[in-house]
Amino acid sequence: MIIVLAVFAILILYDLQRFIRKKERARVFALYIFFMAVSLTVSLLLAAGRRPSGPSQWIEAVLKMIGVLK
Amino acid sequence: MEKARISSIQLFLLLSGFLFGSTVILAPAQGAKNDAWLAILLGGTGGALLMGIYAAIASLNPSKTLVDILKEKMGKVIGNMFAVLYIWYFIHLASLVFRNFGEFICTVTFPETPMVVVIGLFAVILVYAINSGIEVIGRLSELLVPVIPLVVLIISLSLITVHDFTAFLPILENGMTPVLNAAFSFITFPFGETVAFLMLFPHLNKKEKLKKVVFVSAAVSTLLGIILFFRDIFVLGSDLMARSTFIPHLTSLLIPGLNVEPLVDINLLIGGGVKISVCIYAAAKALSQIAGIGDYRKLTGAISTFCVVLSIWVYENVLEMFNWAEKVWLYYSIPFQIVVPLLLLLLSLRKKSKPSNARTES
Repeated sequence: MIIVLAVFAILILYDLQRFIRKKERARVFALYIFFMAVSLTVSLLLAAGRRPSGPSQWIEAVLKMIGVLK
Repeated sequence: MEKARISSIQLFLLLSGFLFGSTVILAPAQGAKNDAWLAILLGGTGGALLMGIYAAIASLNPSKTLVDILKEKMGKVIGNMFAVLYIWYFIHLASLVFRNFGEFICTVTFPETPMVVVIGLFAVILVYAINSGIEVIGRLSELLVPVIPLVVLIISLSLITVHDFTAFLPILENGMTPVLNAAFSFITFPFGETVAFLMLFPHLNKKEKLKKVVFVSAAVSTLLGIILFFRDIFVLGSDLMARSTFIPHLTSLLIPGLNVEPLVDINLLIGGGVKISVCIYAAAKALSQIAGIGDYRKLTGAISTFCVVLSIWVYENVLEMFNWAEKVWLYYSIPFQIVVPLLLLLLSLRKKSKPSNARTES
């Protein structure tokens, strides 16, 4: 858990200081924070041993729902 | 648009590297067992036609990326919606290849190393390549992709003494249905995945060579797929081939008195690396175009991090990975690889014929 937090802290601090120095637009920050927030949340859940249902299962469920898969 | 240009040979090698990708370890069309060579041949022909459709879309819309074409043909709102779906598809594809790579390395080469470390380190190198630009990726493929057929040749020739040349017989023992099913899955994996190249085709310096490049790379990878299949079945036999997980790796272990196992790892590193780079590049570029961000490089770090996390999250184990790739991937990819590109081709042809019709009427 601590390793995950440390890796994300390094990545985010490295990129954000670059963005701030170059005065990037808000949408760059928004997209960056969206991807990193999702990644961090899922990583913490995986590290805690609580694997959330993944996109593959969602896709399979959708395909089963519309009758493509049995 | 970015002014980077790639030559036709670089595009050919990028396409070939992308098509070899994970197929160097996963042996596609395996469902057809003894007749997989027939499935690869049929699938390769279908795949070449599908790639021809992508090339036709790019030729009808010169200097436009997939996002530009979607927006122009379907309108801004619907076009952006489809573009977001494609971004998801490219990210998902990159993470699946990351996982294939991680599973292979952690099963075969580094069984004690955590998969996230293997995938993470690979991602760091790829982000560096992607941030260097498409020209650098092109030059890198020029340097590395020719190694793949060389490795295949080395392994095939080393095994010449342990061949059983009748292992692929009898032909069509189970009828044509498994062959057709395997052929169709061979079209979607790997040929249909080249839809990501619609984000790269505008960078080709000689647009008139696009169709030729696409067909030659499809032919070369089909030929290599057939060579790989015959080598594996001649050495392993159909029973062992049906039961093993990483077939080319098992084949490479059987060379008497020589350990060429790392060569298969190298092949995957190159093929998988090209495939992941193209997918992340396509996703980052498409996202930057939708969001109106000038430089795609600002998003590559975040997208690659997400891909690494997704690759760990996406499957619980290797069996789920194979099961999903075999049963779900085929149907999941059809809209992205066939339906939307066909629609775009029809709309592009209609738009192209409109001005000439108007001229004849006047």
